[in-house]
Amino acid sequence: MANPDLETPEFIERLRAGDRAAFALVVKHYHPRLLGAARTLLQPADAEEAVQDGWIAAHRALPKFEGRSALLTWLTRIVINQARMQLRKGGREVQFDPTEEGGADALAHRFNANGHWQEPPRAWALSGPDALLTRDELQHCLESHITAMPDNQRLALQLRDIQGLDFDDICNILDVSASNVRVLVHRARARLFEMVDRFQETGEC
Amino acid sequence: MLKCQQVEQRADALVDGTPLSTRERFSLSMHLLICRHCRRYVRQLRALAAHLRHRAAPTAHDHQVQAVLDRVDHSRQVTDHKRHPG
Repeated sequence: MANPDLETPEFIERLRAGDRAAFALVVKHYHPRLLGAARTLLQPADAEEAVQDGWIAAHRALPKFEGRSALLTWLTRIVINQARMQLRKGGREVQFDPTEEGGADALAHRFNANGHWQEPPRAWALSGPDALLTRDELQHCLESHITAMPDNQRLALQLRDIQGLDFDDICNILDVSASNVRVLVHRARARLFEMVDRFQETGEC
Repeated sequence: MLKCQQVEQRADALVDGTPLSTRERFSLSMHLLICRHCRRYVRQLRALAAHLRHRAAPTAHDHQVQAVLDRVDHSRQVTDHKRHPG
């Protein structure tokens, strides 16, 4: 979610006027998020490079920033475009049309032909000192499953669930329809749900 | 009446707070009222999404901020030099 202090018209005006302290504050608050977004598509060193290039491009374009979207949305769009440019150099492309990716709903096999649960969700321990979601082994497991997701699902999950951006902002950043973003987020969540459910049952990643 | 699989496919709207039509909201509520498996699914999906949110990145270290400012300054100097050589 964007930091409200950095999104006020007064603050944006300082930025547009070249206020260095204001720019430094934006870097302090948004750099890690932009890095998180770039890392969904690139290796860490390349992601770092894409974000640095993104800051340079953003700094240059700031006087023309009209505030039609939130500053964070605008910056994320710049960085994702840098990252996609780097991918294209390496001959890769992120496809945002979910029908072209073959990643069906990871929970589909849990239903019978009538659409009822044949393998219902297990009960997760959600509270208490040994709460499932806070266990270290599970964090590593989540990490590796997020890494292994198709690029488009990982990016949609990163922007929506990890960074908490609105669907409208995500559509704006990725230039895709809201329904496509929703499908990608759903598939990413279904994968992780299936993984956590299996972990609850077997204790294995 | 919705089937469980349809609830699974629509549950994201509940997690995301997406506005639903009265009819959609009613059919989801009716199903959840009678199906404990789907109630559990929605509850745990919400918990999972909330957990992911907590992984959001903190603020940058000062040295990272400085590195960005240095790069921006350097690039500006290079651009200025190209515009006004010598």
